[in-house]
Amino acid sequence: MTALGVIIAKDLRLLLRDRAALLFLTVAPLIVMSVAGFSLASLYGADPNEQAAYELPIVDEDGGDLAGQIEERLRSDNNLRLRRVASRAEAQQLVRDKVAGSALVIPAGTRDALVAGRPASLLLYTDPVKFLERINVALRVSKARDELADAERVRIVAELDEQRAKVRAQLDNLEATVERVRANLEAVRREAGEERERAAGALDAEIERLLAEVSGEIDARVKELVAQVDAAVAGRVGALQRPARAYLDELTTARREFEEWFAELQRLAASRADRIPEPPAFPEPPPELLRAIEQPPAPIEVPVNLDLRILPPLRAALDALDAIAAGDVDVQIPELELPEAVIPAASLGVEEISVDGGATQINAFDQNVPGFSITFMLLGMLFAVALGLLDERDWGTFDRVRSLPVSVLTIVVGKLASRFTVGVLQMIVLFAVGFVLFRISLGPQPLALLLPIVGIVFAGTALGLVVAAVAPSRDAVVPLGSIVILTMAAVGGCWWPIDLEPGWMRTVALAFPTTWAMDVFNDLMLRGRRADAVHESVAVLFAHGAAYLAVGLVLFRRRYSKA
Amino acid sequence: MSSAAAISVDRLVVNRGGRRVLDELTFDVAPGEIVGLIGPNGAGKTTTLEVLATLLAPNAGEVRIAGYDLRRAAQGVRRSIGRVPQEAALYPTLTGRENAVFFARLGGARGKGARRAAAAVLDQVGLAARADEPAATYSGGMQRRLSLACGLLGSPPVLLLDEPTVGVDPQSFESIVVAIRAHARGGAAVLYSTHQMDEAEGLCDRVVLIDRGRAVAAGTPTHLVHAAIPGVLVDVVTDEVLPDGWLGELAGAGVSGVPDGSTGASRGSAARVALENVELAPRVLERAARGGKLLDFRMHRPSLHDAFLALTGRAPRD
Repeated sequence: MTALGVIIAKDLRLLLRDRAALLFLTVAPLIVMSVAGFSLASLYGADPNEQAAYELPIVDEDGGDLAGQIEERLRSDNNLRLRRVASRAEAQQLVRDKVAGSALVIPAGTRDALVAGRPASLLLYTDPVKFLERINVALRVSKARDELADAERVRIVAELDEQRAKVRAQLDNLEATVERVRANLEAVRREAGEERERAAGALDAEIERLLAEVSGEIDARVKELVAQVDAAVAGRVGALQRPARAYLDELTTARREFEEWFAELQRLAASRADRIPEPPAFPEPPPELLRAIEQPPAPIEVPVNLDLRILPPLRAALDALDAIAAGDVDVQIPELELPEAVIPAASLGVEEISVDGGATQINAFDQNVPGFSITFMLLGMLFAVALGLLDERDWGTFDRVRSLPVSVLTIVVGKLASRFTVGVLQMIVLFAVGFVLFRISLGPQPLALLLPIVGIVFAGTALGLVVAAVAPSRDAVVPLGSIVILTMAAVGGCWWPIDLEPGWMRTVALAFPTTWAMDVFNDLMLRGRRADAVHESVAVLFAHGAAYLAVGLVLFRRRYSKA
Repeated sequence: MSSAAAISVDRLVVNRGGRRVLDELTFDVAPGEIVGLIGPNGAGKTTTLEVLATLLAPNAGEVRIAGYDLRRAAQGVRRSIGRVPQEAALYPTLTGRENAVFFARLGGARGKGARRAAAAVLDQVGLAARADEPAATYSGGMQRRLSLACGLLGSPPVLLLDEPTVGVDPQSFESIVVAIRAHARGGAAVLYSTHQMDEAEGLCDRVVLIDRGRAVAAGTPTHLVHAAIPGVLVDVVTDEVLPDGWLGELAGAGVSGVPDGSTGASRGSAARVALENVELAPRVLERAARGGKLLDFRMHRPSLHDAFLALTGRAPRD
């Protein structure tokens, strides 16, 4: 085993033999962080053990189910401890007696007023001195009220949705019925068409038969009449044709005799024949008269088949049926759009969302476990490193070891390494206890917590060396170291959220490793960030440690290394 | 100065806070030799041992330990020395064995070798039976013995002892002295700082008397005593305080303060007279009887204590 290992083992053994130191490293911080955690639980809003819940007297003057719901909802809030009292006066007295910071009254008629659409208010009697409690209780009562309103709204919306669903189902049913009717009508229409076709066919056949029958009879009659007319006409025409033909025959004979006379005349006149004037022309009988005389009278032309069309009134009825059969059965249901349900106006809530996805409400121990672990680790480091080195000096063991073949650096580093190991173990134990007992969040990467743990323990160890080198005596270590460490812890946000501090103090805090350590712990545990998001702060933490170590070694060497 | 000296200090100068603590101190210690470093408070004994143990850098002078130059080979010096400081210099919550094993390991021993070495030295100083008890439960004498045991680990060739017997009982004293002598017999050079003159006289082969940072006398105790006070001392006790000048003019005799309480001074008033010649003793007694009733008297040779006072004076050193 090297000298360094021997020194580390020796220091660890010394620590194990020191029960007071062990108690200080473990039990003391647990006690303090428990006290602080329970005391300040209400400051952070989340109290996992319901030890710091606010006492809230509640009076139900309304007596309705609404009051019951309010009470039930408030009772489910871990931050409130409801105390049902009989009267408003009793509730007020509890506030006056400082038993409670606030008292809630649900006035008579609250439910009826709301049902009737009238405004109503809950009454919160408060003690103005208990500012934080008053704010918290009012906030939680308002939250319960909003939740109730939201729940009621959700119920009404659900009810409306149910009714709309019922109407929708009825409409669907009606639509189906209409569809069935439409189908039935279509079937009837098809049947009517077919019947009409059949009826029309029969009717047409009958009509054809009747027409044929009537036409035949008419044709026969017409032919008979025509024959009679023809006979009568022939008789009369014949009576006229004969004299006419005899006249024409005489006329033709006279014309031929005249022509023969004239020819004789001319011959007789011989040389004078030229002087004989032309005789007047013999009139020609009109050709129509010739044809009428020559030809027998034409028979009266009568069409053989009379195209008779008889449209009985039934045909129109059939046409009407035809129109019906030909058309579609257009039974349309108008599109029935259900009106949107009128959703009751909801309260406008504010949803708080952690930008990193972590919890919005933190457990007081999420702040106190790392905070007080750091504080007690630093104090432990102060006693372990600074007083430990001074103890060695006072015991004479430091010089005894220095007179052995071991360098001062080995002695110091050995002591720092052992205390560093103890510090890391101390922090791990405190976080483990915090996780088991106080349900602190370890974030998405619990192992990543080793980064700030190692960083702050490194810085604390090196700081212990600085204090040991600076403190003029053992008696000066505790006040000097305590001032430094307690200031670092307080300003660095180990005891309360650093955001409570004024801006200038937060700026000053950047000079302390505690600030960076708490920042990393908050990032990893509460903001739900991962290791890669905190490397800059961790680097600053280690830089603090490195600076302290360099300064501490220089000062320590200057002070104690005389050879 | 012997070139074979295990400890060689030559004109060693140390200044502290603007004051010269060691002023050209020179002495040496041979192997196997026990040398007492004596001197009044503030004389520079502890500073000398701190320099030799490499805890304090000298301003001037040469120091060699077991052949190693203090300035150039500090690690060699550290490997060669066993140091037993004024205080117990132990870890109170560790057991005697754990303390011894720890220092053995830092001295270079490994594993079982360290445990064996620790057991050997614990046995040597008579602590084997209580080796596994915490050092805090030890008496002062036991703690001193344990401290010596830790200094003897690894049988260093040079042993530096700074008042190792302060506050111990005679048994522990005897045990410590035996162990130191045994170690010296083994060849180690022992430098032994003490206020106890009888202790130095009985244990040391030589003594170096330093005062105000300088070696004012050196040699064997006998030599030193004789050099400081040649002759004998007579202590007289009278019932009344003897007046100033009671001895009168007596050649070869001189008042030398008051004797130790062991002479019976509590019964009256005591006075010491140094005589160059023992034959002057009756005349001293006669003159004392004139000043008061003579109750007691004793004649003895001067001790190192007497020589020390003679050489450094009786005035307290603050």
